[in-house]
Amino acid sequence: MNGPSNQLNFDALVVGGGIAGGEAALNLASTGYKVLLVEKELSIGGKMIMLSKVFPTLDCAACITTPKVSEISRHPNITIFTSSEISSINKIAENNFEATVVRQPRYVVIEDCTACQLCEQACPVSVPDQYQYNLVGRKAAFIPFSIASPKAAAIDIENCVLCGACEKVCPTNCIDFTQEVETFQVNAKTVILATGFKLFDPLMIPRYGFGLYKNVITSMQMERELAPTRPFNTVLRPGDGKVPDKIAYVLCTGSRDATIGNPICSQICCMYSIKQAQLLMGALPMADVTIYYINIRSFGKGFDEFYQQAKGMGVNFVKGKIGKISEQGNGNLTLRYEDINEGIVKEADHDMVILSVGVLPNQDASDFFGQDELQLDPYNFIHQTDVLASPALTSIKGVFVAGTASGPMDIPDSILSAGSASSEAISYLIQE
Amino acid sequence: MKKKIGVYICHCGGNISDYVDVEKVKKSIEDEGGVYLAKTTMFACSDSNQKDMVDDIKGNELNGIVVASCSPKLHLTTFRNVSERADLNKYNYVHANIREQDSWAHSDDKNGATEKAILLVKAAIAKARLAEPLIPNKIQAQKAVAVIGGGIAGMKAAIALSDKDCPVYLIEKAPFVGGRVAQWGNMFTSNQTGEELITKLYHELIKRKNITLFTGAEVTHNAGSIGDFRLKVSVQPRYFTGTCEEKQLQQAIDACPVEVLDEFNFNLTKRKAIYRNAASEYPQTATIDMENCTRCGKCEAICDKIDLSQKEEILDLHVGSVLMATGFDPYTPAEGEYGYNEVDNVLTLPQFVRMLELSDKKLIRNGKEIKNIAYIYCVGSRQEEDGNTYCSRYCCTSAIHTSVEVKKKFPGVYNYHFNRGIRTYGKQELLYAESLQLGDIYLQGDEESLPEVSGESGKTMVKVKDILSAGRLIEVEADLVVLVTGMVPRADNSVGSMFKLPKGRDKFFNEIHMKLRPVETFIDGVTIAGACQGPKNIMESVNSALAAATKSYSYVSKGELETEPIVAEVDAELCSWCDACTAACPFDAISMTNESSKAIALINNSVCKGCGMCLPVCPTDALNLIAYSNNEIESMIDALAAG
Ligand SMILES: Cc1cc2nc3c(=O)[nH]c(=O)nc-3n(C[C@H](O)[C@H](O)[C@H](O)COP(=O)(O)OP(=O)(O)OC[C@H]3O[C@@H](n4cnc5c(N)ncnc54)[C@H](O)[C@@H]3O)c2cc1C
Ligand SMILES: Cc1cc2nc3c(=O)[nH]c(=O)nc-3n(C[C@H](O)[C@H](O)[C@H](O)COP(=O)(O)OP(=O)(O)OC[C@H]3O[C@@H](n4cnc5c(N)ncnc54)[C@H](O)[C@@H]3O)c2cc1C
Ligand code: SF4
Repeated sequence: MNGPSNQLNFDALVVGGGIAGGEAALNLASTGYKVLLVEKELSIGGKMIMLSKVFPTLDCAACITTPKVSEISRHPNITIFTSSEISSINKIAENNFEATVVRQPRYVVIEDCTACQLCEQACPVSVPDQYQYNLVGRKAAFIPFSIASPKAAAIDIENCVLCGACEKVCPTNCIDFTQEVETFQVNAKTVILATGFKLFDPLMIPRYGFGLYKNVITSMQMERELAPTRPFNTVLRPGDGKVPDKIAYVLCTGSRDATIGNPICSQICCMYSIKQAQLLMGALPMADVTIYYINIRSFGKGFDEFYQQAKGMGVNFVKGKIGKISEQGNGNLTLRYEDINEGIVKEADHDMVILSVGVLPNQDASDFFGQDELQLDPYNFIHQTDVLASPALTSIKGVFVAGTASGPMDIPDSILSAGSASSEAISYLIQE
Repeated sequence: MKKKIGVYICHCGGNISDYVDVEKVKKSIEDEGGVYLAKTTMFACSDSNQKDMVDDIKGNELNGIVVASCSPKLHLTTFRNVSERADLNKYNYVHANIREQDSWAHSDDKNGATEKAILLVKAAIAKARLAEPLIPNKIQAQKAVAVIGGGIAGMKAAIALSDKDCPVYLIEKAPFVGGRVAQWGNMFTSNQTGEELITKLYHELIKRKNITLFTGAEVTHNAGSIGDFRLKVSVQPRYFTGTCEEKQLQQAIDACPVEVLDEFNFNLTKRKAIYRNAASEYPQTATIDMENCTRCGKCEAICDKIDLSQKEEILDLHVGSVLMATGFDPYTPAEGEYGYNEVDNVLTLPQFVRMLELSDKKLIRNGKEIKNIAYIYCVGSRQEEDGNTYCSRYCCTSAIHTSVEVKKKFPGVYNYHFNRGIRTYGKQELLYAESLQLGDIYLQGDEESLPEVSGESGKTMVKVKDILSAGRLIEVEADLVVLVTGMVPRADNSVGSMFKLPKGRDKFFNEIHMKLRPVETFIDGVTIAGACQGPKNIMESVNSALAAATKSYSYVSKGELETEPIVAEVDAELCSWCDACTAACPFDAISMTNESSKAIALINNSVCKGCGMCLPVCPTDALNLIAYSNNEIESMIDALAAG
């Protein structure tokens, strides 16, 4: 399928369609540059589109993300490739990058799909839904999530049994099992890396019992439970569907912890946990919420006030390090912790525990470049070569970094960092 | 033409529909005059609903739409764009806010909230029935940007704009550029010095021909608005016609009889009224501080390059956008706050940073070598309700970084950190780990038990109930107490008031929306960057400066700009120029003109923000606000009152 149409030219290649990549693409596009936005997942929007509400303003994440996402997807200067990855980027000269982009087949013609969901109903295969962070299942023929962009079905070919049920029910005949992997040769004059972050995998701390105890979940799963597009209609413990009334947060799970190889602070977990606690107090007025912390880092504009507000609402803050979590017969959990204020080891019972998992580097981008080395910092985020004077610069001239690809940051900082990267890219396009 | 209106009522994923019965709202308004179709939607702003709206408008030839959802602050542009994509004039779309003004405000009363929503939507429909298509005003945008403030944020913004081939005027009030950064030695997180950083940027600045740098300069007047700002800038002279020979300059300085506290060293030292720049301050020439100079003429007599007769210059600048980067002031503790100005070995962190720079072999205060240093955190930050409630974000890292620097330079020193929970976020955490490794001691109080400083019989004691050791009272004898002071807005806000920039509750300049429009202000064409928007370290200041540069550039790069047609208009017959409206207008948009030899009011369309303040003061009812005519407002009131 690799005809001449697979040779594409753009001013800028933006890798990663989260809020940082999206913002950078929009800035470039509205200045008049042609942008290719490459996203690995089936939808753009990154982590942000999966969130419930966002601190410290408590705007609903969807209300802010979806219009941005629709502006991106409709912008005449932006071309979006979802389900696509970079296999290599070579710098030929200044203003001349050659990238190979590989697009996985979706087995659905996006333009024809009306997202009617009939295929979902017809599909006999159920698997865990990665977009609901495995809280519920989905079909092998599925719409990724209700506010996905593009909002179109996709076939998960690894789990598909090729029964053809979806093809039969599709009213627009948009399912196409003949689609193949496509490879594109892309020429671009500049590159912005916005590949984002990975969430810490709590299986690495077995003493917290994640994966073993059903009522120990991650903060991202709680985001999904609280989101308007939530999998259940209320907040539930996954173990037995009971509405929890004594909830605990374990901060710094996988952060500030040299023993698991991540000595740095993730910068967002204090605030998103405080946010979730506030939302839980609203959703479950009878519930107790306790946050176990080492330090509360509410440092940004309006953040400390947000923390005080949570205290005022009755969220319980305990300065304590969690040693171990164990499960009782009824699915409740016992937290053994060192109470830092009193200097003694204590135990507390909760019926649901949320692990506030930290931000880890996504190292994908280090494999993109052939001859030129993309340097990483000691924690494996993309190295900012001039961190004070030009934070978006990387070790390769003409390649810029935006958002959490260079280190932990919240949404407002990711957006400013994307503004910074796009400014550098525009200057580079004009000057070189 | 008869109106065919489409009404869209949003669930906002529960934000609205948890409290407002949106289906009931839909039923109650379906039969309102002019309503052709009414729908509810999960997210009105979502891509799929936007598509549906476009199809509805085109398919049914709708000539008006009403969206009932969140605040128009969030999505006015979203739905205006929808209208335009459907070839409907965007002013035929009317918004009803049933979230901030209804569901969120009345979450305790679902019936009441639903009733209110019905009325709000009916009022919007009433307005949509009368709405006229409008054409935006077009203005020519001057391709040049004025950057106000030559700190790190302003310098970087100027360079970024220049590299986009956009002419820049960089206006710095002080005699030198560099801002606060010029005052710091080794800095986190790169271990560059302030001097290295500012030197590099200054050379970048002067290399660029399309940047005009003014030092000792202030904007004194602004007329005009987006695309067309007319600024008056007063530029103070340096009182030098060239460079004095080094020896002569020193003699001139020695001869100067006026000695004042040196702000560069935060008053730790003194300087003369004629003084040299610090190594980190550019341009590298001496200057005379005319506020304190007595014009005695002694220096002039020594070096003929000194000319006290130089006068201030007033320049007129014409720019399309203004980028504000005026920075911050360090918090000044109140008299006696933690012993400040009462106990004499109490300093602020900025003072201590300068003291370190000025100390060579030994760290000495009042003749005594310093061994024990107590740092008291959050001074001027995280205060009670009516104080500075915010966290200044840079200071934990800065204090720890400084304490590590001290220890490297003077290994015998002991550091005691009286903190309120350390906030070295992100990679800055490594500094905290390093300081712990070096043996620094951390003691933590909280809002109920803040540390106390006392100075008696030559001893300075700092004590706190340390929550890290079960609330034990711990006391440290300190040779030096460093108050880790936060960031506050610049004391002199005259330039902010001149542009009428709104401030947040922290009193820093406020952005329109932290996530959607983080560097824009309510004053069209004016962007904000760096620490004038809120506490920031250098990296964060630069990121916001570059983001603001991109935004300012977008205003001026296309040559032409659209402005809102929703402005006040004057009925020449009725107006008798009583001048009441000029006083009412907060934006100076009204002036007098003569029309057929009659004096009447004239509205400057690009300055008028359509706020409507002038309307009620007009005694003859000669003013009308386009899109908010008496007719429209009365019909809305009728709809609201009918309930
Ligand atoms: C539980 C939780 C709650 C949060 N709550 C808040 C909040 O309330 N307020 C707030 O301000 N912040 C919050 N955050 C932080 C917020 O999620 C991040 O700041 C933001 O998502 C960062 O955006 P990004 O674009 O840098 O990265 P990401 O969101 O990670 O986006 C990166 C994108 O790049 C894509 N990608 C990755 N690798 C490749 C590749 N090789 N090729 C192509 N594409 C690739 C990814 O699929 C993804 O779409 C929260 C985070 C978590 C975990
Ligand atoms: C003690 C201390 C140590 C620090 N150390 C570090 C560090 O090591 N690393 C780090 O990353 N950050 C550090 N910071 C933070 C850093 O100083 C700020 O991030 C930075 O100064 C912000 O830059 P700015 O340009 O926004 O503001 P400023 O540096 O305040 O510059 C603003 C400029 O605008 C000018 N100006 C003001 N009003 C007007 C007007 N009306 N007209 C014209 N010009 C005007 C001022 O004269 C000034 O030159 C430190 C801060 C403090 C207090
Ligand atoms: S950064 Fe640290 S010292 Fe500064 S106000 Fe915040 S908590 Fe206090």
